Amino acid sequence: MLQIKNLHAGIEGKEILKGINLDVKAGEVHAIMGPNGSGKSTLSSVLAGKEEYEVSEGEVKFKGKDLLELSPEDRAREGLFLAFQYPVEIPGVSNINFLKTAINEIRAYRGQGPMDAKEFLAKVKEKQAFVEMTGNLANRSVNEGFSGGEKKRNEIFQLAMLEPVLAVLDETDSGLDIDALRIVANGVNKLRSKDRAFVVITHYQRLLDHIVPDVVHVLFDGKIVKSGGKELALELEKKGYDWIKKEAAIA
Amino acid sequence: MTTAEKIGADERLIQGFSKNKAQLPGSKRIASLREQAILDFQKLGLPGRKSEEYKYSNVQPLFKEEASLVNTNLPAANGFSIEQFQLPGLKENTAVLVNGVFSPAHSSLNKLPKGVIVCSLKEAFSKNEKLVEQHYSKYAQSGTDAFLALSTSFAGDGVFVYVPDNTIAEQAIHIISVVTGSTPSLIFPRNLFIIGKNSGVQIVESFAAHALSAKSICIAVTEVFVDENAKAQYYKLQEDSGSASLISATHARQERNSHFDTNTVTLSGEWIRNNLEIALEGENCETHLNGLFLTEGKQHVDNHTLVDHRKPHCQSNQLYKGILGDKSTGVFNGKIFVRPDAQKTNAYQSSRNILLSDDASINTKPQLEIYADDVKCSHGSTTGQLNEDAMFYLRSRGLSTDSARNLLLSAFANDVLETVRIKELKDHLDELVRKRLEK
Amino acid sequence: MASGNDILKEHISSDYKYGFSSDIEMETAPKGLNEDIVRFISKKKNEPEWMLESRLKAFRHWLTMEEPRHWPHLQFPKIDYQDIIYYAAPKKKTEVKSLDEVDPELLATFSKLGISLEEQKRLVGMQSTIAVDAVFDSVSVKTTFRETLLEKGIIFCSFSEAVHDHPELIKKYMGSVVPYTDNYFAALNAAVFSDGSFCYIPKGVRCPMELSTYFRINTAGTGQFERTLIIADEGAYVSYLEGCTAPQRDENQLHAAVVEIISHRNAEVKYSTVQNWYPGDKNGKGGVYNFVTKRGICLEENSKISWTQVETGSAITWKYPSVILKGDNAIGEFYSVAVTNNFQQADTGTKMIHLGKNTRSTIVSKGISAGKSNNSYRGLVRVAKGASNARNYSQCDSLLMGDKCGAHTFPYIEIKDKSAVVEHEATTSKIGEDQIFYCKQRGIDTEKAVSLIVNGYCKEVLNQLPMEFAVEAQKLLAVSLEGSVG
Repeated sequence: MLQIKNLHAGIEGKEILKGINLDVKAGEVHAIMGPNGSGKSTLSSVLAGKEEYEVSEGEVKFKGKDLLELSPEDRAREGLFLAFQYPVEIPGVSNINFLKTAINEIRAYRGQGPMDAKEFLAKVKEKQAFVEMTGNLANRSVNEGFSGGEKKRNEIFQLAMLEPVLAVLDETDSGLDIDALRIVANGVNKLRSKDRAFVVITHYQRLLDHIVPDVVHVLFDGKIVKSGGKELALELEKKGYDWIKKEAAIA
Repeated sequence: MTTAEKIGADERLIQGFSKNKAQLPGSKRIASLREQAILDFQKLGLPGRKSEEYKYSNVQPLFKEEASLVNTNLPAANGFSIEQFQLPGLKENTAVLVNGVFSPAHSSLNKLPKGVIVCSLKEAFSKNEKLVEQHYSKYAQSGTDAFLALSTSFAGDGVFVYVPDNTIAEQAIHIISVVTGSTPSLIFPRNLFIIGKNSGVQIVESFAAHALSAKSICIAVTEVFVDENAKAQYYKLQEDSGSASLISATHARQERNSHFDTNTVTLSGEWIRNNLEIALEGENCETHLNGLFLTEGKQHVDNHTLVDHRKPHCQSNQLYKGILGDKSTGVFNGKIFVRPDAQKTNAYQSSRNILLSDDASINTKPQLEIYADDVKCSHGSTTGQLNEDAMFYLRSRGLSTDSARNLLLSAFANDVLETVRIKELKDHLDELVRKRLEK
Repeated sequence: MASGNDILKEHISSDYKYGFSSDIEMETAPKGLNEDIVRFISKKKNEPEWMLESRLKAFRHWLTMEEPRHWPHLQFPKIDYQDIIYYAAPKKKTEVKSLDEVDPELLATFSKLGISLEEQKRLVGMQSTIAVDAVFDSVSVKTTFRETLLEKGIIFCSFSEAVHDHPELIKKYMGSVVPYTDNYFAALNAAVFSDGSFCYIPKGVRCPMELSTYFRINTAGTGQFERTLIIADEGAYVSYLEGCTAPQRDENQLHAAVVEIISHRNAEVKYSTVQNWYPGDKNGKGGVYNFVTKRGICLEENSKISWTQVETGSAITWKYPSVILKGDNAIGEFYSVAVTNNFQQADTGTKMIHLGKNTRSTIVSKGISAGKSNNSYRGLVRVAKGASNARNYSQCDSLLMGDKCGAHTFPYIEIKDKSAVVEHEATTSKIGEDQIFYCKQRGIDTEKAVSLIVNGYCKEVLNQLPMEFAVEAQKLLAVSLEGSVG
């Protein structure tokens, strides 16, 4: 589904990703871990198409298409979803109106007509339950005045509503207390399916207790320096990142 | 105001210039600046009621009286001691102007660091011609305001401060501008401060009156040049007597990475107008404009500010507070101007006022004029009374109404006073404000 | 929604969609302005002598006045007042008894604008109906629902008719809020105003439907000078809507209107405007010069006046809908969205004059500047001595889209009473790139994202509009800003 080959990218002339290779298949959950500054958020930004980031080398294929050629909205319409590390507040725009617009734009891209209002509301009700959101939250302005935990839950709620084929979760666990973490992880788990892949970017292993990954990658200094099963995450938790740094230095 | 009177005052001033110009000091270049400035004045005229910049401050009555006023050669009165105006801790470097004329007898400038010049502007006209030529009348342009035009035409003395590059003046420089005498006077002190690269200085200017028994109008203009990475603070303390009016203008130019703070505290004076304009000419400049005015009687105090953001990444912050009593009137007119190039500007302005009396009034005009899109600018203005809940809370803790009121007003004033970095000055101001509030 | 209400029809195009002109036989006055023209207009309208006298007095005063050029943040070329036609009217029969007698071309014009003058049509399936007074160039064409309203004692008719049928009301109220001496354009209007709407709601009556005036400039070279007078008697309530469009023309057209509102004891008037005069083309050519004086007075206690405006049109907008809070406990409100794009210039805001005790006012202004436009908020809050416990809260936000436009805020706050509490806040910021990206990541393209964000930003104001207008306003915002974010 997603193939990244030798991806080099950076911002303001500074190279941050220095040759990423990654192959994600439908139904898989990949975790990307790494210390601060290793390039985790740059990777998610490049995948989503943030304009400030420049790709200098390499390619990214998404469902066989050249992802880097697509505009950010077309990437979303193709089924790529990014759960933001810092979800943006949009005052005055209700969550509901926002989602309706997004869903109908995506549908139009696929040649479908707008979703029936009744169907839409039923779907909102169903998916809200996934992340234990109250009706009130959906009527508030997008992320405005939300607590950190509410914002992250709202991201997963949107994920459930938009039903992408590939979801990239950028540090969705950071800043969450254990209850919120559980809610978010449960939401994600319910959304796992054989057609949908996840890339879970995180600094901490604890999220992976709840969302069990198929593959764990360690990102360091812009490269994936180690990949393994879920045990790798535990090892990292125990030993910290220093041994990876040492290993990388030797290599 | 009738047109006849307006023309009268304008013409009196223009004639006064013709009569006096031969005696005014300075090079040929200065003389030609004067000629240009009087032409500017002729064009501008004293501002009338329709002038947007003087909408709330009617200057016409000030110039109504027949006394021709213009007299730049008032004798420097020596019959008083300067000590009464000096501040503890600020006595080392004192430059004194008496009726706008530098008075060596009252001044003491012994502790200046090497290379630092503090002298009369008249002296600088001849001894520091090059610096004067480079900076004088560059930042306060006579074509933009009638009083700047008058100042440039008439001013012959004032204080010149020069801090060379890489020099930190540890001791603050205290300028004391005293008006005195029994004949009406119109005086034009003019200062020029040049702060070199990486240098630092603190300047305090006090306006005061001594045995003044006649009307006095002081048109005081200060130009400040703050070079790269320099840091300067300029405090103005206005304690004129009841018959003194002051029209003061400060025009500063900041070069990149510089930091300039001003603080204008007005406690007395009949009619006061303060114009403060700061041009941020380089990137990454920072400026803070603070002001506090406490008015009583029939006082009129008008603070006008303009921060001109010309380059990106600059920061400005304005905080003006007024406490108005009796029949006094106050004005705050502040403008944040952001030019198209000044992206990433961060500008804030706040004007807070308290009216203590039914007859006091305040007019505020906080303005934003913005031509760059990637900026954060905001202003806020409030006018009201003391918070009733806070008053009640204090009284329920046993404070009398008066002491509760004074406590809250001091706290209100303190937001401005705490920005004063010279301890002795802050103590002095605290004391003045306390006394004033207890009245 | 309403079948007759074509305004709601889905239609978004970046061009000015009301730019067509209608081919209707017109009767016009010769170009230029002098006492004879004033007399001509008065005669055409068959006015009584007192009305002519009032016009001439205004005209003579106007000659002594100067255009307000100095203080507004506007630049415009000299207006040649002798090069304007001051009167243009469709040639029609003197008395219109039914729609059949109205020029079909004229009906077609209003229908194209989404204004139906056929009452029956509008009744179908509507919960609330709107009574419309349609003003075409200088004259009122047709007022709908008059009989229905009359049953309740509500007078809703053209200004000219009111001069004939209700002279006592006109004499009493006209010029009582905006005297002809008020300003240059008010004086001009008082001299040459052609028509407009008149509305009187009697004691204790709640007007059962929205009243609406629709203004249309058609004839080339004409100015439009309409006059609106709304009186809400004790305990009355009315919600009033005003819409306006003009054909696309290369020359600038002058519009100088006057609106006066009088709100008596316990009465409330809500006045909403969606101003969409032709703004000129992308290069700043053409467009309407909109110099309008709108003012209301809360004459007695517990009265209320609320202005809501969405300003997207006109090359130049000079307009300050104001409230004089004379009665105790009176309430004044001003909600405004002003959008400028291309070379448009707007200098708009409000005046809240607090005279009575316990008076309250609220100002919410949202400015959006794009292209090479300049958008200024200018507002006055004055608390007079003796207006104890006055409260005002003002919030003025400006949004910049692009680096060639300007956004300005010029509040004037004059307080002469110590018990006043007046708060003013203003911010200026850029439309958030991170917000746009967030929307795009959810599949929403830039144009839609801007429209979403801008509508969210204006929500407080749009919420004040009646439903029908709110929908139109949202669409207008989207259209006005199309293409302004790369």
